Parts: sequence; C-alpha cells; structure tokens
Amino acid sequence: MYENKYQWARKIGFGFRPEDNIPGDINQWNIEQLKSNNKNVGLNGNGKWPDNFNFSIEERFNRLFTYMTKREKHESDKISPIEKKRLVKIARDENLVHLHDVYKYWNNSIYSQDTFHQRLVHFWANHFTVGGSNNFRNYVIGDLIHQTIGGNLGGSFSDLLQKVILHPGMLDYLDNVQSAGEESQYTKSMRKNGKTAGLNDNLSREILELHTVSTAKEYSEKDIKNIAMILAGWGLSVSYYMQDFNNEKSSNNISKHTSLKKFIEKPYLKYKAEPGNKSVLGKSFASGPSALYILINMLAEDDFTAKHLSRKLAIHFIGENVSEEEIQKIYKVWKSSDGDLSEIHKVTLEVAQKTKIKKFLWPTTWMFQCIRISGAQFISDRNRNNGFGEIQDNGLPKFEPLSILDEIGHNFWASRQPDGYSEKKQDWVSTEHFDRRIRIASRIYRAKSTISGEEIAEIYGFSDRTKMSISSAKTNEDKFIVALCSSELMEI
Amino acid sequence: MLNRRCFLKAMPPALALSGYPVHGFTKDAVDGRIIVIMLQGGMDGLLAVPPIGDDDLYKQRKALVAANPLKLNPLFGIHPNFQNFSRMLKSNEASIIHATSFPYTGRSHFEGQNISQIGLKKAFSVDTGWLGRAMDNAKITGRAMSLDAPLLIRGALEFDNYYPASIEETSIPKKDLLELIKNTHDGTAMETFEKLSQSLIQGSDEFRARDPLSLAAKAGDAMRRNDGPRVAVLTIPEFDDHSSIGSTTGHHPDLFTLLDSVFGQLKKSLKETWNNSIVLTTTEFGRTVQENGSEGTDHGYGSVGLLAGGLIKQSSVVANWPGLSNKALFEKRDLYATIDYRSVCAACIEAAFGLDHDLIIDKVFQDKEIKRTFHHIFG
Repeated sequence: MYENKYQWARKIGFGFRPEDNIPGDINQWNIEQLKSNNKNVGLNGNGKWPDNFNFSIEERFNRLFTYMTKREKHESDKISPIEKKRLVKIARDENLVHLHDVYKYWNNSIYSQDTFHQRLVHFWANHFTVGGSNNFRNYVIGDLIHQTIGGNLGGSFSDLLQKVILHPGMLDYLDNVQSAGEESQYTKSMRKNGKTAGLNDNLSREILELHTVSTAKEYSEKDIKNIAMILAGWGLSVSYYMQDFNNEKSSNNISKHTSLKKFIEKPYLKYKAEPGNKSVLGKSFASGPSALYILINMLAEDDFTAKHLSRKLAIHFIGENVSEEEIQKIYKVWKSSDGDLSEIHKVTLEVAQKTKIKKFLWPTTWMFQCIRISGAQFISDRNRNNGFGEIQDNGLPKFEPLSILDEIGHNFWASRQPDGYSEKKQDWVSTEHFDRRIRIASRIYRAKSTISGEEIAEIYGFSDRTKMSISSAKTNEDKFIVALCSSELMEI
Repeated sequence: MLNRRCFLKAMPPALALSGYPVHGFTKDAVDGRIIVIMLQGGMDGLLAVPPIGDDDLYKQRKALVAANPLKLNPLFGIHPNFQNFSRMLKSNEASIIHATSFPYTGRSHFEGQNISQIGLKKAFSVDTGWLGRAMDNAKITGRAMSLDAPLLIRGALEFDNYYPASIEETSIPKKDLLELIKNTHDGTAMETFEKLSQSLIQGSDEFRARDPLSLAAKAGDAMRRNDGPRVAVLTIPEFDDHSSIGSTTGHHPDLFTLLDSVFGQLKKSLKETWNNSIVLTTTEFGRTVQENGSEGTDHGYGSVGLLAGGLIKQSSVVANWPGLSNKALFEKRDLYATIDYRSVCAACIEAAFGLDHDLIIDKVFQDKEIKRTFHHIFG
C-alpha cells in the first residue's frame, strides 16, 4: 500500500518536483489525468511549448520531402565532397524534426503535471514499438508517441490500435508499405515487367503476436497470410510519402480531392489491395478497406488480447512478480468495459496502490524521476552545460538528449526489435548499465539540482541502511549520487 | 517428421551426419575459448551459403542468389562477401553447418531468440542461457560485449560486460563511491556493483568505440590474457529483412561483410589464442526459401551456422541436405532443419571446455536425445 504521496507519485508517475504543489487528493489527481490529452508544458516548465517545436503531420512530410529533394540535388551537384557534405547537413538541420520531439519527450517527463498520463504514453509507445534507424521514420516517431498515442488514451483500445496500425511509421517499420496483394493490379503488372511484387507478412505477424492476442492464442500461418492480404494496399513508404502521394494523385489511383492529411488517415491504395474474400480465425472478410477496420475490432475485442494486455500493464506498473489475482482485476475491467482505456488505466492505478510488489524502473523512468525530484533542470544556461538540452543561436536544439537515451540503452528513436524494451529487472542489471546510472546521477547533480541527497532520503522514506551510506559519502555530490543510485530510487 | 533426402556422402568436404558415436570422454584441462556471435533477426542461410548444386535453388529463388558465389564443393557455395571466412575455410580453420536450427518452428523472433539462448525446447522456461550453464559447469568466466547481460550467458558464476560509456563530462566512478552505493542494494544488483568496482581497477576512461568490429578487437585482446575471460558474446542485429534484402549487394550482403570482418578481427586480435578458440554464429531461425513480394524473405526454419577457430582441424560443410523441392520443404515453405544446432553448440563446448558430451546434454541442454557431432566438426 503506497500511503506516502511521494512514493506513490513515483510508483505510477515521475514523482514531484520540489516546487510542485502536492495535490490534496492524489487519487483524484491521478484519475483526472486519464482524461488528459497530452498537455505539453513549456521548456524548463515555463510558459507554453514553443510553436516552432511543434509539427503537424503534413509539416513533417513537407520537411522530409524538402530535405530529400535538397539532398538529392546537392548529391548530383558538381561540387567538392566537403561542400556537398556541408550543404546536405544544412538541408538536414533546416528541416529537423526528431530532435524537437526528443526534447518534448524529456521536457514533458520532467515538468508536466500529468505524470501518470506521461508514464502511460511511454508504456504504450513501447507496446507499439516503431524503431528508428533510418532518417525517414525519425520524422514521424514523435508524432506517433505524442499525437497518436498521447492523444488517444482516453478512448477504446480498438480505436488506439487502429490509429497506431495505420500510422505511417508503423506501416513503414513493419514493411507493410512494401506489400501488395498477390492478385492485385500492381503485382500483376510488376510481374509482367519481370519485377518482384507481392505479399510480405511482417506487420501481420506482429499485430497478432505483439499488439493483440499473443502466441497464447493458437493462430495458424494461414491466419497470418490472410491478415497480410487484408493489410495489402495500406500505406506508402515514409521516405517517399509526398512524392508517391503526388504520383498517386496524378495517375488517378487516389481521389484528386484527397488532401495529404486525409490520405495519411486512410492511406489505402486499391490497386495494391488483394481482391476477394479472406478468412481469419474462422471469420470471413469481404474485399475493400473496411475489412481492416473490422479485423482490428475483432482482434481488439478478443479475450486473448484482454489477457495479454492486462498482464503487460500489470507488469509495467506493478512489477514483474505481480500476482495472478492482481492481473485478474485489470482483466475483469478490460472485459466489462469493452476495452475502455480510461477504465482500464483507472483499475491499474487501484491495483498498483494496494500492491506490495516492487518494480525495477526502466533507465529513462529512473532518470526522469531523479531529475524531477531533485529539482534539476532540462535546458542548460547557454554554454554552461548545467542541464541536458540546449537551444543554440540558430534555434536548433543540441543533440545530447538523444545521445543520452542511446547511452542508457532506452531510446524510443533507436533501431530496435518490435517487441520493445524489456520489463525484467535482469535485463537492466549489468556493470555497464550501473556505470551509466552513476554518470547520469553526477550530471543531474550539476543540472542545477536544488535538494541534497539527505533531503531526498528523508522525503522518500529511505531505509536507515541507505541513509547511513549517504551520510558516509565525503562530498555533497557523492551523497547525492548515492541517493540517486540507491535501491530505493531504482526500484519502487 | 523428417524426410530423408539426398544423402551427400560422396561430396567432401560436405559431410553427412549419421550414426554418431556416443561415448563420453573428458579432456584434461582444455584451455579453449568460445565466442558466440548472435545474428539477431533471422539470417537467410540460403543467401549466405547457397546450395548452388541444387537445381531447385534457382527454381525457388529468382533474385535472391548472389551472382558470383565462391564455390566450396559441387553442392555448396558461399556469398562472395565472406572473404576472410573463405580464407579460413581454405586453411582448415572454419566449417559450415547447413540445414540446421535450434529446435523451434514457430517463426516468432522473440520465442526463437529465447530458445536460441536458453537452448531448451520450450521458450521462456528458464532464466539462464546454455552458454552460462556450460560456463558454470566448467567453472570459467566470460564477458558480454554489450550494454546488457544477454540471456545466453546468464547462469554463469562469473561474467561481466564491456560496452564503454560515452557521456559528456563524466568519468569512471570512484571505488569508495561504488562501495557506498553497493551497500544500499541486495542480491544481483549488489553483486553487479561489486563486479563494477573490481573491473574498474584496470579500466581507463579514454574514448572507446563500441561498433561490432571494435568490440571484437577488445574481446580478442581480453581473451588472450591468462586471467582474461574465456567466453565472449557479441551481437549483430538487423537481419530481419522482409524487404529489399539484396543479393550480391544490399542490406543482407552488407551484414555478411560485417560478420566476415568480425571473424577476421577476432582472429587478428586473439593472435596465438586463436589456435585454442572456436567462434560460432547463432540465429533464431532461417528465412523462407522463396522470396516474398517485396524482394525480401519472411520468417522460416532452417538456416546456417558458421564456425571458425584454431580448434577446427579440417574444414567441412556439415549437412544432411534435405533438398529444396516443394516436397522437401518444411510446411511447403522453409528449409528443413535436419541438424539440431544444439548438437553443434555441444560440440563447441566439448572442444573448448573439455566437458563430457553426456554431461553437456544433461546439464546444459537437458535433452539426452542430442547427438554427439564432435568428430564431424573437430575430429
């Protein structure tokens, strides 16, 4: 039972900053966050999030397209390789998007007042992993995290699932953009010209295994193939979205009146779709785009999905040793509310508050909590390096917040496997991981932290043993580092 | 049920497997080294080591065969990007195991990766790896060249990690500070802080690269020392190529080049210790025999294992080749795995650590059906 408000706020959120107003009714405060629509706070918690750090999905594709066009031009220019590199870098920097997204992710975690909501965003962003690795997906991963996931946690799981699967990042990451029906017009004409075309089953397989029912449900290769057939025709490659969108329009493959925004919401190309009926898990689907919506609903409502995701939520917010009884409580609400995420998240809170199980925190959860509770700042004073991020004279954010995520091995913009980051303690305990935690703690100390190691130990109710270690350290910095790297802050 | 297909007895160095001698023995004080390179995502074994003598290859695959594979024998060639590895084959210090897999046919990365690391038939059934259990039984130490501790090596009495940090304006933690932090923890976290404290004695804080090649160089340097680790684990990710996999050039071939360089680098940095070493690849599954519609291959079953090191005395391609005709494929789509790759891992453990085969299959793989392949690889 988490009766200490400070500990409870760490169990399900990122804790409180020293200057935060501590809510009187913390449970009500948490529940109100379930209606939150991803409120973005200003840099270092001041004012509003800067407009020039916000990008609509159309703006993201415009920037990507501009960068690619310029890059192609510079690469064919008859200039020296050094000059080429310089111009390509300028074109990239002028059209940068993902670093701004990374800043929003850090800043919301460190300053926002809806930290339970932010933790939910991180959980679902991990569940629906879209890995980076190419320049192109990096233009849309932030949109997936902040808009698609952050903006849809108050509705049904089915609705969230549909929006995520149809997000340009997901369709690209799991290769659906490369897939076309075996009997589609596209495949037939490609093959006629001696070119390869047809289905691949990457997205199909992962929707079943990871996003919904899991391998606990015994589906067959035939089910996987039929889902791939239903998915065929959905999506364009992120790197060529603008170009392809314009091509599709000019060759009448999509309506001339469709806007890019509308097309992003429904990126369906009939000429790549598989004609005819399909059958998945014993249910028949007619041809056409509506089959995917029906399929997604069916999978979202499946009992195995409720079981799989109740367990995942419980493990994330309660701990890997969560009891079956605790999982059942979440599962029951999942079923009775028909997958209403507000209700499901609410019961997760209730179960988490009463539990005795501890969770070993992800490196980023630990890091953001440490920055918050010690009153440290995100953005440095100019050239002082007393924070993590910095806005340069040209208005561009510095790179370091992204490279730190890489360093601690927990980066939503990194290339990685679609099952996302582990929830198991043993995957985060290693000499190299611990080396990094100590280094990060020393950076937090120098990021204008306002309270001492001893004060943290007092507020968060550390054990006498840990308090003794803290007081034995020789310098204030060492005392602070011992507090941040103590078992009490790594596990809650 | 396994089909019995063409049996390649008459094709040295391709060696058919049958009638394994089963008699355990223990070598005295073998001082070998094992390096495992985990190829994450599922390597396409037919692209890496194409059975160029099997006409069905060209019937099944139109695009995904390298234009100029290096011919190894009448049946098998190897992708031209394996330059170092080919030289090792020529000098009798490398071997290939084909049509092999860990015992898993489910085509899920995550179950497959788990099985390839725990070495048991049921995914997620234990929290230790086959290599960790082998190290535990042989009482030797190892090192993971990664940020985390891979499941493969867990269960060992002693191992550490090497993946140097690069965080601006920070330095190696002080020993007295580590002691104080350690005292706030219990169990594995406490042990890990203790290990960190010990490993820092020799550490320095110069810039240290951590791409697979640099890590291979570091692994070799450390393993050469008398008190150094005897096991190292490296990972090369991104083999999951569902689209635009490449044939002669492209993404998968680039990964072959990287893997080949890692083999070359290990030999270089291990120096004379190479003579006592075995390097082996693992992957969670192979890929479909036919291309999919996006010039890639989907998740499959049988693949290939690459082995190199001075412990090998005679190069060979070890296979019980199942064939690639439609009838010969697993579920009409995948290369059949006719060799349980765990039997290859067991042979490597036997060769490097001197553990008895019966003990390995009992304590490490917990499956007494695993055949002894030692003589085919190290004999």
